[in-house]
Amino acid sequence: MATGMRGLTQFIADIRGARVRELEEKRINKEMANIRKRFKDGNLDGYQKKKYVAKIIFTYILGYKVDVGHMEAVNLISSNKYSEKQIGYLAVTLLMHENSDFLRLVVNSIRKDLDDNNEIHNCLALHAIANVGGREMAEALAEDVHRLLISPTSQSFVKKKAALTLLRMYRKHPDVIPAEEWALRIISIMDDPDLGVVICVTSLVMALAQDHLDAFAVCYQKSVDRLHRLVVEHEYSATYAYYKVPSPWLQVKLLRLLQYYPPSDDPTIRSVLHNVLQVVMTNSAEPTRNVQHNNAQHAVLFEAIGLAIHLDTNSPLVGTAAVLLARFISSKETNVRYLGLDTMAHLAARADSLEPIKKHQGTIILSLRDKDISVRRRALDLLYSMCDVDNSELIVGELLRYLKVADYGLREEMVLKIAILTEKYASSYKWYVDTILDLISAAGDHVGDEVWYRVVQIVTNTEDLQEYAAKVVFEHMKSPSSHESLVKVGGYILGEYGHLIANMPGYSPIEQFQLLHSKSQFCGAPTRALLLSTYIKWVNVFPELKLQLINVFERYRHVLDSDLQQRACEFYALASRPEDDELLQNVCEEMPPFPPRQSALLDRLNRKQGDTEDKRTWVIGGKEANLERQASRRLTIMTTGAGKLTNGSTSGAASTNARDITQSLAGLDFSTSPSQVEAPQPEPAPSSSSKIPPVVMGPNVDKWYDKLMYSTDGVLYEDVQLQIGIKSRYHGHLGQLAIYVGNKLPAALTSFTTTVQGGDSDALSITFAKMPPTMVAPRTQTQLLLHVECNKVFKNPPVMTVSFLAGSHQTLSIRLPIVVTKFFEGVKLGPNEFFERWKLIGGPPREAQSVFPITLDAAGHIDMPKQQQVVSGLRFDILEGIDPNPTNIVGAGVLHTAIEGKVGCLLRLEPNREAKLSRVTIRSTSEDVASEVQKLIQKPLAAPS
Amino acid sequence: MIHAVLIFNTSGVPRLTKFYSTVHHSPQTLVQKIFSLICTRPAGLCNFLDAPELEEFLGKKQREDERLRVVYRSYATLHFVFLVDAAESELGILDLIQVFVESLDRAFENVCELDLVFHFDEVHHILAEVIQGGLVLETNLDEIDRSVKQAAQARKTSYASANPLSLGGSSMGQRSAGLQTPLGWLTGKLTGVGTI
Repeated sequence: MATGMRGLTQFIADIRGARVRELEEKRINKEMANIRKRFKDGNLDGYQKKKYVAKIIFTYILGYKVDVGHMEAVNLISSNKYSEKQIGYLAVTLLMHENSDFLRLVVNSIRKDLDDNNEIHNCLALHAIANVGGREMAEALAEDVHRLLISPTSQSFVKKKAALTLLRMYRKHPDVIPAEEWALRIISIMDDPDLGVVICVTSLVMALAQDHLDAFAVCYQKSVDRLHRLVVEHEYSATYAYYKVPSPWLQVKLLRLLQYYPPSDDPTIRSVLHNVLQVVMTNSAEPTRNVQHNNAQHAVLFEAIGLAIHLDTNSPLVGTAAVLLARFISSKETNVRYLGLDTMAHLAARADSLEPIKKHQGTIILSLRDKDISVRRRALDLLYSMCDVDNSELIVGELLRYLKVADYGLREEMVLKIAILTEKYASSYKWYVDTILDLISAAGDHVGDEVWYRVVQIVTNTEDLQEYAAKVVFEHMKSPSSHESLVKVGGYILGEYGHLIANMPGYSPIEQFQLLHSKSQFCGAPTRALLLSTYIKWVNVFPELKLQLINVFERYRHVLDSDLQQRACEFYALASRPEDDELLQNVCEEMPPFPPRQSALLDRLNRKQGDTEDKRTWVIGGKEANLERQASRRLTIMTTGAGKLTNGSTSGAASTNARDITQSLAGLDFSTSPSQVEAPQPEPAPSSSSKIPPVVMGPNVDKWYDKLMYSTDGVLYEDVQLQIGIKSRYHGHLGQLAIYVGNKLPAALTSFTTTVQGGDSDALSITFAKMPPTMVAPRTQTQLLLHVECNKVFKNPPVMTVSFLAGSHQTLSIRLPIVVTKFFEGVKLGPNEFFERWKLIGGPPREAQSVFPITLDAAGHIDMPKQQQVVSGLRFDILEGIDPNPTNIVGAGVLHTAIEGKVGCLLRLEPNREAKLSRVTIRSTSEDVASEVQKLIQKPLAAPS
Repeated sequence: MIHAVLIFNTSGVPRLTKFYSTVHHSPQTLVQKIFSLICTRPAGLCNFLDAPELEEFLGKKQREDERLRVVYRSYATLHFVFLVDAAESELGILDLIQVFVESLDRAFENVCELDLVFHFDEVHHILAEVIQGGLVLETNLDEIDRSVKQAAQARKTSYASANPLSLGGSSMGQRSAGLQTPLGWLTGKLTGVGTI
């Protein structure tokens, strides 16, 4: 503590007392000299070291350069006195940066503190890594930090810091964090009862999920659930209410996280989320007096509107939002105006129709004249986003008018945007040329080269425009102070197309020459060079000017600039060739049209790169721009494996030397680099939830599963911790499953997460009827309700993954007994009907047949009840009196599917007592169904081999 | 994320500077530049400011979707300034500034500029309980206060064990609890107050 050290207090007081800078410097130099001497003499105890290091920190904070004390700070870190350790860490985080050599010396001390039993030491260490941790620390300590995050014995305040520390490591060096492997474990912490922990973990999940959307998909459900608990059920500790708003930071983070995912397909999740957004919007309908309360509420509201726009721009929620936004942009409060415009730009960037925004065009244009530049900037962005063919003339006109009075900082960007809008939404070529030349004359210095290149390209490629362009550019150049960019455009266009207007009064060749040449003296060398090229073209088309032009070349042959000189010499030689020479004509041939290319302007505006920073979920610009951007983002996400590799090695190159070589080599080896998990190479990543996780196996599990195939309820899974049972009901192509999860432990299963992944997700759709619970209380049972719909024939049963925290984090994947026969309904058929159909279907491939061994019952007979139970359990109707042999079973059923309609299926089962064999024959109008049903019926009946 | 947290007084003297990203050029110039951005803005304007001109300091390429923004708030003679990127909610940061100020206020009881000068280390410790590595760590005032007190207690314990004759070494003790006798410290220790 500063005041614990009298010397330090005195030092600070002295410096404050220094009347002038020189005295202050003198006092500091004296102190530093003293400290240097003390350090050199050595033999300092911890207290003295702490005091001197504190003085050094203070000096550093004042803005002086300090070059001593690093070593002492490192020593202090390993002290076992907290007060010394704390100053040591403070010095390390302030004086050093991530590439500092001294940091190598502290890695071991930090590790020791991470492993310490004293949690406040853990915190100091975590905080240091989070501030200055570089690659070396990340590699050495990621495991320890992760352990602190997930350990059940970690206190909340340690977990929070560990989560953010891990995030820092991931940001800096994504490859040291096996994100997909840790995904489920990390997400499970989002259920922590401590909201502080949830905030930090959500930040971590947000960063990881952006690069690993699939592996982190469960966080969607978790976020929605948490929002629901905060906003609708008001389930939070009172201390996390900030001016009566339940943890606005967490809400904002969760709402933001949801925007990184495409809208969920699950109707339950959607309706819960809809409800949450609705409540948020209603809550903020009544503004309050308290500034902080208003702020917090609006923070959530704006993020909620952002999410609503992301989910569906046509939803009634967005309609409500648009009304709110309209109110905001004319609010008295500047902050609200600012955010209103910003969010409206988001809406404009996504919405199908700009009508609701255009209604407020007047207000928005007025905002360009707001007293605050921040608001003006947002208004500019919004106008850019909401521009389309209908209002382009108006908006561009406004922007042009505003450009002349705009802040200097804004102009270059404005010019770029005006140029893009003009080109994109031009209603006529004339308008385009007029506007763009107005723009160039008005903006002058702020016109980037891209802008005038593009004008030239467009004029060259559009024949109708050339004459008009030449005329207008001539008129523009008449103004006494035309800008160099305008002279460039003028030089180029008159050189190419000046001859088109040469016969009109006022535009004669000599007038063109005089005008252009009068500007030349105010221009730099590159522009003059361009003008020389114009002149040589004129030599070709305007023979009457030849003398003057040759005269100009003559003079330029002696200028100092080598490029100009060379041009002048060459052009002089070319112009002085005899009249009938064709070389000049060939050289000065009119420019061919440019190949069509993407506008360089958009390129410049869109420059971006992939890294692990949070990405914005939308960009300024119209709907198309956002669609393009999404497509390209998806591409980058798919190739992040490769992308990250280069990231890693480049940042490595900046820091160290020899390691990079091994680093980049390591990247070639697919098994060592975790960042490769997303590479197109199929990778055995067991925890990645994008693939079906490995299913629990075991004789009991199989027995239970087989039994459930032909019965509607029973046990699905059981072990010492939990029991899972099922009750099911099917009708046509629809089904309902109630899954009962019983907790057998005397402790609660927390962070309880269930997900279901279909084997054939488009054939079978499975949704939770309500959000699954996140906790199972000790010795109780909880129920999950699933709705199942069969769209097509499918083969693989869906897999339910249950994960929970009971001491450690456990994951369990179980097949659900949902097979194609569950969607059967029996049919009664008479013998004639049956045989008619049987014959109609015919043999293979629409028939599936197999012979398999069976076991006899105790008395040595065929177990008829079992046979019948299985057949009717598979939802066939057993038809009596068709097969003369009484032990044979004949059945018929129809499969109901939502998309493929109904599929009929006939069955004949012929068990043989003597041979202990059974033959099953299935005929169905669909080959897939026949073979699938054959497998399903054989499995429970066949004798264990 | 949050790239920097700064506190200025009205004459532009920085009272706290904390960067969470590596600063490429001189941090002093950056700090002055930020101050010059906000000091010209009269009251009543919004608390947010685009700051593309600061990007070079943080080594960022100018990118449309990675705009740096300055979020600031003024309290009496102090400006609290946060430099953030597009991933943060502006109003959220305003709230966070309020939380930071309230935590300072709790720790120092009516915080004033002098506290920031003489207890610069404590200010950093408090900030460390609110923001870590550029991200929000905790927003619950009670929780922040508890962590700060806990660290102070640990400091006092270790300090006292090194100087058995001292009467507690903490400014917190001096400012809030008056004199702390060795006996008081002893009972505190025996009942395990503030220890984990």
